[in-house]
Amino acid sequence: MLKPEKTRFFLPLLAIIPALLGALLLTGCSAPEPPELRQATLLPVAKAVADFRLTDQAGRPFTLDNLKGRWTLAFFGYTHCPDVCPTSMAMLGQVQRNLAKDPSTGELPQVVFFSVDPERDTPELLASFVPYFHDSFIGVTGAADEILKLTRQLGIIYGKVEGSGSDDYLVDHSAAIILFDPEGRFRALFNIPHKPEYIVADLQAIKQYYEATR
Amino acid sequence: MKRILLALTLAACSWLPVAQAEVQVEDAWVREAPPGARMLAAYLTVNNSGAEDLVLVEVQSPAFSHIMLHKSEVVDGVARMVHLDEIVIPAQGSVQLQPGGMHLMMPAPEARPSAGDRVPLVLIFADGNRLEVQADVRKKP
Ligand SMILES: [Cu+2]
Repeated sequence: MLKPEKTRFFLPLLAIIPALLGALLLTGCSAPEPPELRQATLLPVAKAVADFRLTDQAGRPFTLDNLKGRWTLAFFGYTHCPDVCPTSMAMLGQVQRNLAKDPSTGELPQVVFFSVDPERDTPELLASFVPYFHDSFIGVTGAADEILKLTRQLGIIYGKVEGSGSDDYLVDHSAAIILFDPEGRFRALFNIPHKPEYIVADLQAIKQYYEATR
Repeated sequence: MKRILLALTLAACSWLPVAQAEVQVEDAWVREAPPGARMLAAYLTVNNSGAEDLVLVEVQSPAFSHIMLHKSEVVDGVARMVHLDEIVIPAQGSVQLQPGGMHLMMPAPEARPSAGDRVPLVLIFADGNRLEVQADVRKKP
């Protein structure tokens, strides 16, 4: 009973295959294939980001312009988080040291810790917290709605945990690391668990792909 | 009544070394707090070579005001911490507290422990047994 249905469905599919193969070959010759990645999810099309106005750990403005001109790895967390955040930040410190050792790296990416707990994470607090993991790291905080303006565009979510104390509350937050390209566009994300060697390899591959496809 | 209690306590104490031989704690360490951090985390591995499950209900330390049993978990890409009432170490098994998973969490004391320091942790089990271990303070991912 079912068989004829299936065959009818299958035949047009078979006919499409040569066309698909042809298309693959053509694109293969004209544009480089997206790289094989070990941990990163590369966006099919880089996503432009709308401007936002935040503040870095020295009290200077940090806006979309600060994401331009170099690659950026961004993590979204809070300083009162003792497990996941320091683990990810230490891991990013390792990434930065590994990249620095690799002669093919060129300019190091900037690594930015965006606070999702601006109530407690002042620029002063970030100034002592963030450089602990690597002296090049940048800490960014600011008005809650400006942080939301950025995170909403990236699919980063977070929220205070109900029921925890007034000053000792926990914050649930996305654990992903976001990669921005030198045009300040959202290019890729790294999901947990993070492995520094994978992030380094993927970042180098994405950079090469970016250069080859510009 | 008092005498019975005393006798019971003594009995419990005399059992202590036996029970402890069945529990081993390895690799106990406290993450050095980054400057400004108000919370610390500690990790360890508990091995239970005994024939019965062990239930860790509390950890105390003279170095910290209080210690919570916690677990980090990532659900749909979102990291959150949940409070644990107890941690069961199965008979003939072991449980690892490690970064990104189960951990001990405590407010950073005024005098912050730094890498190289050692702090005592006292593990308290549901059966009343206590086990003191020394945790190294480390700066590591
Ligand atoms: Cu915790």
